[in-house]
Amino acid sequence: MGLVSLRRSAGCVLAGLLYLFAASGVIADTKPLKLNTTADHSKFKELQREFQSGPEVTKACLSCHTEAAGQVHRTKHWKWEFLNPASGQKLGKKEVLNNFCISIASNYSACTSCHVGYGWKDASFDFTSEENVDCLACHDTTGIYKKPPGLAGHPQLKDVENPPGSGKITKGIDIAKVAQKVGKSSRDNCGSCHFYGGGGDGVKHGDLDSSLAAPDKDLDVHMDATGLDFTCATCHKTSSHDVAGSRYTPTAMDKGGAHMRGKEDKSNPATCVSCHDTAPHKQDARLNTHTGKIACQTCHIPEFARGGVPTKMSWDWSKAGERDAEGKQIVRKDAKGHIIYESRKGAFELGENVKPEYFWFNGDVNYTLATDKVDKTDGVTRINWLGGSPDDGKSMIWPVKVFRGSQPYDPVNKTLVKPHTAGNDDTGYWKNLVWDKAIEVGMKDAGLPFSGKVDFVKTEMFWPITHMVAPKEKALACTECHSKSGRLAGITGIYIPGRDANSLVDTFGWGIALFSLVGSVGHGLMRIASRRKHEEKENG
Amino acid sequence: MKPAKILGPTLLLALLSVSLSASAYDADWKRGRIYYRSVCTSCHVALPVGQINPSSKTMAEWSGYLQADKHAKGKDSVKQYVSKSYRASIKSANKAAEKFADVPDQELLDDVKAFLVKGAKDGEAPASCS
Repeated sequence: MGLVSLRRSAGCVLAGLLYLFAASGVIADTKPLKLNTTADHSKFKELQREFQSGPEVTKACLSCHTEAAGQVHRTKHWKWEFLNPASGQKLGKKEVLNNFCISIASNYSACTSCHVGYGWKDASFDFTSEENVDCLACHDTTGIYKKPPGLAGHPQLKDVENPPGSGKITKGIDIAKVAQKVGKSSRDNCGSCHFYGGGGDGVKHGDLDSSLAAPDKDLDVHMDATGLDFTCATCHKTSSHDVAGSRYTPTAMDKGGAHMRGKEDKSNPATCVSCHDTAPHKQDARLNTHTGKIACQTCHIPEFARGGVPTKMSWDWSKAGERDAEGKQIVRKDAKGHIIYESRKGAFELGENVKPEYFWFNGDVNYTLATDKVDKTDGVTRINWLGGSPDDGKSMIWPVKVFRGSQPYDPVNKTLVKPHTAGNDDTGYWKNLVWDKAIEVGMKDAGLPFSGKVDFVKTEMFWPITHMVAPKEKALACTECHSKSGRLAGITGIYIPGRDANSLVDTFGWGIALFSLVGSVGHGLMRIASRRKHEEKENG
Repeated sequence: MKPAKILGPTLLLALLSVSLSASAYDADWKRGRIYYRSVCTSCHVALPVGQINPSSKTMAEWSGYLQADKHAKGKDSVKQYVSKSYRASIKSANKAAEKFADVPDQELLDDVKAFLVKGAKDGEAPASCS
């Protein structure tokens, strides 16, 4: 080897080393560093392979995260079952009815696209299987992981023509790519189900829709993507995969005060008080006198569905079933292009920037189940209702979305019914538009009797509003409630200045004020006159 | 070629590839989403062209557009609107520009590209402006 060649080679190596040091941050700090995780999953051999199914991915996850599936098994996100300790009612998505999609019984393959599991296609689903836990639903960071309705919670991994014969190809997901990029749960993960509850964006809740994926400050002061940037889990603090917060036993009044680090606190961490304490108004302390009776949400969520996504306010199943002249199903839209009628679902009313209704609420939520008797002559059946009164010491005035509807029931057995809606089969209502066949299958799946007769009953559901918290500048002004026709006009059992008035007391009060004024002015005038008289006398 | 002659370049190439892979930036489509919606859309809503949904173009069209780097039919560049200097000029009135004031230009451009490609008409999750 010649000396010149050796020098050249050494020079090249030295230059390379210098470049490497610079690039790796030894000389200059240029290496991008992930600060939101301690592990880059793309570097794990277990995930550097092709996967044929979701459960295969889960197996790979569990080879390191050995306890994760067991933890998930204990949660409501897995069980969809909840025993209310106060009422003894067996609740959870598996049990209850609602007045939008109605029920999951016999519709598992569609509904369980939002289950944190794989393969729940009927009542025989194995809830003890660890491989059936879907890690990616909550830990995908790519935003491409989706579980289409009809696949029983499985993602679509291969290209599929959808609908068949249409020529439109829906691409399959590269599940290995998703697995290699897992991370902490984000708003997009939770939102992929909770924003779309009830069968579409913003349908169910009104205060949860896709506008919260990256909201501005006006829409949600906490989740503001360019500000505080809270994820859902910032409030819904999660422990051992169990997410805090419940629609079945919500915390209506939190007397516990702010949570403190290091101090064990088993109370719900997802309340306003758990951070802001019970006297949060520093600049205008008078407002703190409201916090004993008024939920924070009442003033700080002036309207819901504020992000440009309308929410359904009513759903009339009794109008479903129309066909056009050719016998095809119909879809009607409003001027903005939002669907207001579908043959398979009925008629809808939508709302944006909706003022809530207000109720006393103590945290108790009771349900009318499919085993409970329903009397159409009662007028409206409440599918759920909120406990509360002005004098039970546990209630506060809460903002609520009241979801109104009309849905099928059995007039002979006098029960609400669980129809088989989703499904490309001979009995699925969405395909066939025939109620009795659909209900027979649904009720059989639920193990409940059905007479064969179908009628419709008006129903209501009550959804406490707690998201879309506006900045304090946009909170309700005093006169929104302190006026005769204000927002709390219908609230009983509490004296609200400006709203509540007794003409006798008012006349008496104003009379005293008037007499005081006349007396003061009269006294002043007399003093002036007296002084002048005295001065004139002295000046002689 | 003698072994000594290829030793240097080979080692250099190896080192370069190692260093490049070590410093490859993993684009953050969520940050791109915030920047696109807060900065790009906030301007486009006010201008005659109106808002431009990511899903209004294909992945190839977005890649080509960003590669060409011609904004407003070539009157200026796209990169300019992602640059630190531009962010500094609008950060008093734009929270996204303020929040990402110190992000390197190329990283933020990659983030925006990741969002646009993902949200393209034929992308993995077609997206709108809002």
